[in-house]
Amino acid sequence: MTSPLKFQIKQTSAKPTRAGESARCGTFALSQSNTAGTDQQHVKRTIETPGCLMYSLKGAVPHLTPDNLRQQSFGGVNVSLEQILQTDQPGSFSRWPETSPIPQFTGSKFTLAEYLRLQDLITFCDLRDYSYAAENFRHPTTPPTRKLASNTDNHAVLSTPKGIRQLTLDDYLKTVRHYRPDVVVALADTIAETTAPNEKRVRKSLERSLKWLDQILLERAGQDGTIEDRRAEEEKKRRRERKEKRRSAAAAAKAAGEQQEQDQDQDQEQGAGTSKEKEEEIYIEPIPTEPWTDVGLFAAVGGAHLEESRIWSAQETAKKEGVDGFVIDTLSLSALDKDARLKHVQTSLDHLPADKPRLLYGLHAPEDVLEAVAMGIDLFDTSYPFQLAEDGRASLYYYGPRPAGQDKSNSKTQRSINLWDDEHGDKFVPILEGCRCYACKDNKHTRAYINHLLKTHEMLATVLLMGHNMYQYSQFFILVRESIQDGTLQEKSTAFLATFGKEPTRTLEKHPNQIIVEAALQKRNQRLEGAEEGVVGVIGMGASTVNTPSLGAAVGAHAEDVEMEDSESKSKKRHETEEAGEDGGAKDEVVEKKVKKAAVAESSS
Amino acid sequence: MKSALKWDVIAKCGTTKARAAVLTLPHGPVNAPVFMPVGTQGTLKGITPDQIEGLGCQIMLNNTYHLGLRPGQELLDTCGGAHVFQGWNRNLLTDSGGFQMVSLLKLAEITEKGVQFESPHDGSLMLLTPEHSMSLQNSIGADIMMQLDDVVSSLTTGPRVEEAMWRSIRWLDRCIKAHKKPESQNLFAIIQGGLDPALRKQCIEEMVKRDTPGYAIGGLSGGEEKDKFWRVVSQCTDLMPREKPIYCMGVGYAEDLVVCVALGVDMFDCVFPTRTARFGNALTATGTLSLRQAKFKDDFRPIEEGCDCIACKSYTRAYLYTIVTKETVGCHLISIHNTAYQLRLMRQVRESIIEDRFPQFIHKFFKDLFVEKAAYPEWAVNALKSVNVDLIQGENQP
Ligand SMILES: [Zn+2]
Ligand SMILES: [Zn+2]
Repeated sequence: MTSPLKFQIKQTSAKPTRAGESARCGTFALSQSNTAGTDQQHVKRTIETPGCLMYSLKGAVPHLTPDNLRQQSFGGVNVSLEQILQTDQPGSFSRWPETSPIPQFTGSKFTLAEYLRLQDLITFCDLRDYSYAAENFRHPTTPPTRKLASNTDNHAVLSTPKGIRQLTLDDYLKTVRHYRPDVVVALADTIAETTAPNEKRVRKSLERSLKWLDQILLERAGQDGTIEDRRAEEEKKRRRERKEKRRSAAAAAKAAGEQQEQDQDQDQEQGAGTSKEKEEEIYIEPIPTEPWTDVGLFAAVGGAHLEESRIWSAQETAKKEGVDGFVIDTLSLSALDKDARLKHVQTSLDHLPADKPRLLYGLHAPEDVLEAVAMGIDLFDTSYPFQLAEDGRASLYYYGPRPAGQDKSNSKTQRSINLWDDEHGDKFVPILEGCRCYACKDNKHTRAYINHLLKTHEMLATVLLMGHNMYQYSQFFILVRESIQDGTLQEKSTAFLATFGKEPTRTLEKHPNQIIVEAALQKRNQRLEGAEEGVVGVIGMGASTVNTPSLGAAVGAHAEDVEMEDSESKSKKRHETEEAGEDGGAKDEVVEKKVKKAAVAESSS
Repeated sequence: MKSALKWDVIAKCGTTKARAAVLTLPHGPVNAPVFMPVGTQGTLKGITPDQIEGLGCQIMLNNTYHLGLRPGQELLDTCGGAHVFQGWNRNLLTDSGGFQMVSLLKLAEITEKGVQFESPHDGSLMLLTPEHSMSLQNSIGADIMMQLDDVVSSLTTGPRVEEAMWRSIRWLDRCIKAHKKPESQNLFAIIQGGLDPALRKQCIEEMVKRDTPGYAIGGLSGGEEKDKFWRVVSQCTDLMPREKPIYCMGVGYAEDLVVCVALGVDMFDCVFPTRTARFGNALTATGTLSLRQAKFKDDFRPIEEGCDCIACKSYTRAYLYTIVTKETVGCHLISIHNTAYQLRLMRQVRESIIEDRFPQFIHKFFKDLFVEKAAYPEWAVNALKSVNVDLIQGENQP
């Protein structure tokens, strides 16, 4: 089977940094037939490796609208199924349009890429958000539940925005057929526990994952992957029926004791019949399926902290024909420290074919990336720059010689700065001299301005920080690839660590200034609640006969500051309230009113 | 007094009091009638200045009170004003700061000196005088700045309304005197007088004598009946000099904009489009879509057919339903769409005035938005009738 993906290793590091594996750089792209399309919007980018998929939440790269996203050079996006799958999907795919409903893409098939406005990027679809493998990973609004009920032979458990749901193999396949991402990771029984799992659990998870992988590969090739399961099911059913038949026959015999002789004959006949049935071949009609060989398939290799399991998982998965790449599981290693985790990653890599791409989650700080690259990892994600932006931090680190002009903005050779710090309040200089990101270029947005945005709780702060951090992360990867090509990876990696030290452990504590700002906001919203009640009744469109504002700031300014909702239960409650209201513009005032009230109540609670 | 603007009326509606004009300010031309989005803190709800510019926005509003608190006057002076501070190269308008103090702060007390209020930081008593407001607005450097006025609720009656009106006139004089950059910043007077036509008339007469570059109609949108609101607006535009821009503060609902343009208003501001975006409400010509409602789950249409904003060009309602109020991107997208909607509405209004088909535009606008004539707001019907547009009877008349 020809793969829709093209992975080409351009160069393998001349000086292996570790026994066995070594760093390599190459390109990860879709083969020609998959990049069909005439206009610019449809031409898929290529991912240079080692490189990154952009981290996304609900299919959107955090904080970046599509136009701002296109200022980044990354070639692909990682989308977690659990974050985009609705509770009633794949059922509701019945209403999924055949061709794109977006005017500018009329005519093209409506796939996940069209849905998420990712036509020009490689769309990589995994089951869950595995960034939670990273230490103290935080998402501000909707953290997926990490520890879920256990997966079973029939389904994996996901944490969707609307709650926990079970995804059967069948649902998974239907979803893939509709979404048609460029790459999908096979359904797997991933261990998400924070404690080290026992051997039995690990073995079970690997067997289950491999079995699902077999079935997925068959389905993808247009064969019925679940035929064996259904045959076993049918066999079970018939056995049950026979048992039932015998039982009812015995009961009938008891009731008709006087005809004993005759019954004995019948029993004999029945017995003969049963044995005949057993020999009978069970035939199951295969369900004809459309092949989806245009979708690349990655498989997860795991085995937790058990070396033998890791080897077995890698070897068995590597044997499968049609797997285009591998995801090295680290989620099951969360109980271990970084070095131990990397050791286990190495074990997996040692038993995987060298010519296929490998993706790693959760080890995303620059020096971890350097180690993983040295071991032969090709793909990462951008959860690191996202996390920095969430903390109000901006990257200053560099790899290789210090870029010209940067000594001014990074005289202390810091890895990053926190724009919440008061010291930036009067610094009318770019985050990083010489940086070409939207914020830094031409000194458009200064440190002082971003500090102001953070302190006034304005969303543009994270937009700018995210843009800058993403840009710097991409620059880092460009230089890393260059150093593989010119053989300076090891030397520069050592220098990087000597200059910047290790990434400090991320804490979940907020910056003191953030605590102050949020407390003040809450207080203000509380104080205004009474005033709010006074005007809330007349907010709305046209139908209102009383004139209220709009007035520049009175109602507006503080209502705007109301925190975005952060709790699912609250959102649900508000949602219901809202759905009770009428729809449509002019008649929508009830809704607006209720939403507003809820928001005020929420922010003050 | 000195003026740093040019006001060129390029077309007048043959039926209503509407007009199309070009307002040339220090940071470029502004096509009027104009809607000005409100970037309270020197930023518009997560939208970058480039994106705002991309929407065709030529003037944005900042709030003096907020910028005075943070980053503060000293820093604004250091960096060279709010344009540079927020990376916005087009025009800015700032309010006086008085309104926020009265409405946001407890114990705000108005004396002849100014507005006395409790500092939100340490609770100490502070005083905002006309001089201080001017000084702050000079530091901000807005292309249009507003006088400090004595704000009373539009529901207030009795001698307090008249007192506020006279005090606003006195404060205007102090503002004019304190204004240090009349050659690069335009000071607008604010007409007060509550709902009393006699007071409004008196106020306009006095303020017109001061000959400021433009005028605003203040003291409205405070909970008064809409039927009284439009009458005040219409009376003011009748009495105000026609060779200067007229700004109606705090108006921004679509039908309010259309009616007020017909009554002769040129400039508007409102926080509503971006505020409501935050709750997942998208504005369209046929009404507001509450994108948080489950009915949009399988709605694979853009928010509004024909809108060329990044939200409509990229996403379906179905997808937006999954991210609004959840991801900041969802909020940014709806904010962008709503701002695009407001600006487009004003562009369409303007074009129809230039092509002298504004009355037809009004008919279609109300039909699209309210569908049934029975649903047309009575005040709007009355207001438009006063400028010769009969929404109920006259649909087919030119
Ligand atoms: Zn930058
Ligand atoms: Zn739009």
